[in-house]
Amino acid sequence: MNLYEFCNIIIVWLVDLVNNLWYWLGDFLPWVFGDFFTWAGDLAASDGHIAAMTILLEVLVVLIVAIVNVLNFIWLDRKLSGRIFDFYGPYYVGYRIGGWLQNIADGMKLFVKEIITPKDVDRLGFVLAPVIFVSSSFLILATIPLSPNFGVSTNMDGDFVAAGVLFAFAAFAIAPFSILLAGWSSNNKYTLIGGMRSAAQMMSYEIPLLLVVASVFLLSGDFSFVGVVDAQHDVWFAIPLFIGFIVFLVCIAAEVEVTPFDLPEAEAELVEGWTTEYCGMRFGFFMMTSYLRGYAGGALATALFLGGWQGPALIPDEIWFLIKAYCVFVVIEWMRWSVPRVRVDQILNLGWKRLMPLAMLNLVIAAALKTMGWF
Amino acid sequence: MWINMGPQHPMTHGLWNLRIKVDGETIVDAEPEVGYLHRGIEKICENRTFTQVIPITDRLCYGSSMSWSHLYCRSVEDLMGLEVPPRAQYIRVAVLEMQRIASHLMWLAAYAADLGMMAGFIYGMRDREVFVDLLQDLTGSRLTYNYPRVGGVSHDVPPGWDKDALRACDYMEQRLREYEDIYEGSKIFMMRNVGVGVLKRDLAMNLGVTGPPMRASGAKYDLRKDRPYEAYDEMDFQVCSRTEGDCFARYRVRMDEMWESCRIIRQAVQKMPKGEWRVVAPRNAPAGTGVAMVEDPRGEGMMYVVGDGTDRPYRLKIRSPIFVTVSAAPQFLVGYKIADVVAIMGGLDMCIGENDR
Amino acid sequence: MVEGGRRGGGGGQELERAPTRVDADPEERVLTGLMEGFPSSLSEAKRVRPGLLRARIKREDLYDSCRLLRESLGFEHMSMISAVDYPDRFEVVYHVSSYQNNMTLELITTTPKDDPKVDSVSDIWGGANWQEREAYDLMGITFEGHPKLERILMLKDTLYHPLRKDFRG
Repeated sequence: MNLYEFCNIIIVWLVDLVNNLWYWLGDFLPWVFGDFFTWAGDLAASDGHIAAMTILLEVLVVLIVAIVNVLNFIWLDRKLSGRIFDFYGPYYVGYRIGGWLQNIADGMKLFVKEIITPKDVDRLGFVLAPVIFVSSSFLILATIPLSPNFGVSTNMDGDFVAAGVLFAFAAFAIAPFSILLAGWSSNNKYTLIGGMRSAAQMMSYEIPLLLVVASVFLLSGDFSFVGVVDAQHDVWFAIPLFIGFIVFLVCIAAEVEVTPFDLPEAEAELVEGWTTEYCGMRFGFFMMTSYLRGYAGGALATALFLGGWQGPALIPDEIWFLIKAYCVFVVIEWMRWSVPRVRVDQILNLGWKRLMPLAMLNLVIAAALKTMGWF
Repeated sequence: MWINMGPQHPMTHGLWNLRIKVDGETIVDAEPEVGYLHRGIEKICENRTFTQVIPITDRLCYGSSMSWSHLYCRSVEDLMGLEVPPRAQYIRVAVLEMQRIASHLMWLAAYAADLGMMAGFIYGMRDREVFVDLLQDLTGSRLTYNYPRVGGVSHDVPPGWDKDALRACDYMEQRLREYEDIYEGSKIFMMRNVGVGVLKRDLAMNLGVTGPPMRASGAKYDLRKDRPYEAYDEMDFQVCSRTEGDCFARYRVRMDEMWESCRIIRQAVQKMPKGEWRVVAPRNAPAGTGVAMVEDPRGEGMMYVVGDGTDRPYRLKIRSPIFVTVSAAPQFLVGYKIADVVAIMGGLDMCIGENDR
Repeated sequence: MVEGGRRGGGGGQELERAPTRVDADPEERVLTGLMEGFPSSLSEAKRVRPGLLRARIKREDLYDSCRLLRESLGFEHMSMISAVDYPDRFEVVYHVSSYQNNMTLELITTTPKDDPKVDSVSDIWGGANWQEREAYDLMGITFEGHPKLERILMLKDTLYHPLRKDFRG
């Protein structure tokens, strides 16, 4: 049973429940209203309505799973950084579950803070930028299935869309525009520099990232997540494409702006980078979304290189996928808390002069492997 | 485009303003502005008796208050012509070196945070605690100690303190090895530091840059060694210097100084003679002038005190090393990137309390 | 223990010390050089203690004597510029250090109360720049020839010089 069928059952049950009321009202009330209620009940029970409601429910489920994962990630990040820094991390709020509720408390704090729009900002861009950033990041998650049975971007038969990986990376690449927009519209020199840095950095790291993804496509011969993961049934792509895996991790770290590559929000030099002028829940969205993108990056690395949801059948596929994604995230966070930040010219040098040739080399290796018929 | 980095900015470690003119990311001009923390300490001191001034001089620098009150006491001793008993000299040497390690560790922590390395920040602050605790055992306070007195120190060391000091030195040397692995083993740290903010030796001397930045530029001059005060002439230690003059050299000089400070603390604690720790200073100072210069953790600290026969200093002039060093900031900064500002200015170990006085 | 390895106390050349002659130690040489250069305006030149000299100079010859100190007598470093407000005069005290001779010279110059002006030495020692600004700011001594003689610690529009004795807050 996949997610669509599961949601379908729930929706059909719910619609039946409501329709009982509708038809009962239709019998009971005068004929004009009765017709209306019968019509409404028929509409609710129609295939189109049930499908639409099912997809909405699917989206809701995936969204909740994503947000819970993001909360887990933030908590994990804090606990992990606490271990690295020689202290405990959060543990007062939700003492019995290891301080997990601290994130909720922080979110509530951000919710009740005043949302200030500075006087001289470009209001449209200023308000629009968080919206684009958050929505495009959630769009990535929409395409990533946790298992063949748990994903939202399916048709009614449960088949995943053909070019899911491409769509995910396309959604990944929207964020630089919103960051540049946020930086520009804030009318602040620090945010401007941060936005410009972010644009330059993300553009230059997209290219090796996508070259590596191309090598994965070359080996798997499929653009969809299910196809890519199924192609790794014998051996994970991280092993033949080891160079590509490393390049991918570095690029993902740069794309989600964790510390060695967090120049756009380098707090020591550009106060908070492109988020300087944002406060309250707008900043909360930015912060949550950066973790969300970390989750998306870990999930992409898992699906493309680490065999996705494949693993011993002892635990469910979805859990396998999440475990691997968490491991990738932990590696990224470990790097984040233990190294300094690079400089802007160094990051561009690294992107163009080191990662580009490595990504090319990786593509050549993939082509050679494919030519020799090993995949 | 002119950018105001400050007065409230994470880079400043205090309250000052660095105006930089950037072309893209490259700095083409720089202009520091200070004075946001000016408390008029020199004027306040003129209205206090000599003893009352000591806590005020503690407030000069939140990073190394001991060295400032010690400097004040030395200048007044010079004015009064007092000779400090040997035990007090050794105690002073020990606490000064502890203060130097604590100050350098605070610098290291702030420097790591500037470069984005949060682990380094926490580790530096954590190990600073060891020496702050030692000073707390000795003096009772953790930040402003009020321990040196004109003519000695306030009180003798508590029993067992010397053993704690030796243990702290052992701990610190072990930690220093770890730091060297953490920092110098990190390629990114080296990328950010080597060749950044180069200051040539002659320029550094002419601009009045003193202390670790000058020694990193190749001038092997340390007041502790070349103009020994207190009991430093009986200590065996080396003047740490490098020739490169870049941020890495400044980092390296400070790390080496911490090694040497551990050695000095050991010797001072072990060789500490028995005897008096304080001579009674006269209440009124003679008319005249006194001057003292010491090697502060940040450079050459000087005080010039004028007495007029009363119990108050007629004039107390404080020479803050970082005040002169930061005036040379444009020479360090021009031609580097915005991100290098934090490395360069962080590498100078800014302390606004003593800068603005 | 320290030599070699990456934490070598290495690097950093020894500062070249001036050759010591038996008949003239550096401090005597500096005093003699100053007295020969400015016989009329120099007074009270003496050695206070080892490593600390003291001399008074008239303010007309201050700049020239500083140039002599910097160029011929090996004083590379302007340590401190202090201004003192005495009841009858202002004194500007220059502590000039020499790394190679390992000594400090306390050069005192006096200005009358109604005309607190001395020549700026900030083009001789770059380190004097801000210290002169500070002395101007707090004590109101005008340094002629200073590139940017503005207030530095106090606000730009302050009307008084707080370290003067006649200042009452």
